[in-house]
Amino acid sequence: MESYTRYERARIIGARALQLSMGAPLLINTVYTEPLEIALEEFEHGVIPITVKRK
Amino acid sequence: MYYKMTLEDKVRVPPNRLGEDLEKVILDVLQEQLEGSITKEIGIYIAVTKVLNIGQGELIPGDGAIYYDVRFEALVLRLALQEVIEGQVVETTGFGAFVSLGPIDAMLHVSQISDDYISYDEKNARLICQESKRYIAVGDGIRARVVALSLNEREPRESKIGLTMRQSGLGTGRWLEEELEREKERGAAHGGA
Repeated sequence: MESYTRYERARIIGARALQLSMGAPLLINTVYTEPLEIALEEFEHGVIPITVKRK
Repeated sequence: MYYKMTLEDKVRVPPNRLGEDLEKVILDVLQEQLEGSITKEIGIYIAVTKVLNIGQGELIPGDGAIYYDVRFEALVLRLALQEVIEGQVVETTGFGAFVSLGPIDAMLHVSQISDDYISYDEKNARLICQESKRYIAVGDGIRARVVALSLNEREPRESKIGLTMRQSGLGTGRWLEEELEREKERGAAHGGA
């Protein structure tokens, strides 16, 4: 998996958590209920379909 | 005139629809957003028919939605001043007739129907020419020229389109047929002489 800086990591997880909170479907099976926790777990599994465009 | 156009736009895909087929979602969003709307440069959108190309999605801070650059195909009606169009009378009133052009209605004022004096027959909902006894009723197909064009982008229903039929070659289907007959008779008389 690509390595991200802590800023990129925060941006990706934040964006994904917002998507989840707005009703996006889950990409993993999880025991969590909080969007942020689910987003963190998805990030650990490397399944979040978000990439970073570096300038 | 009707145009089939290839257009590009940014499309917002809401997160709750991310699990579905992207092309279908984008088509839905575009149809919801554009069909029936008006822009001055492009015209009146009638239908978004096809999604041609979906670019890379982008995330914008503060919104969980994804924004895609999309190229799509749409059917639009773009009216021009002086354009000759055909439509159908949908309503007659004391001050003129309303003509449906398809996605939008236009106004044909009494003063623009004929050189004759026009009177309104309320019982039969007809506008009658005094001298020639020709009339316009609801349901008639007409050919007219666009002489006034005021499109309202915010409120498409508030748009005003003015028509005229006071020129040769314009009128209801019936008038045009009569005119053609007369024209033929005249032609025959000249040929015989």
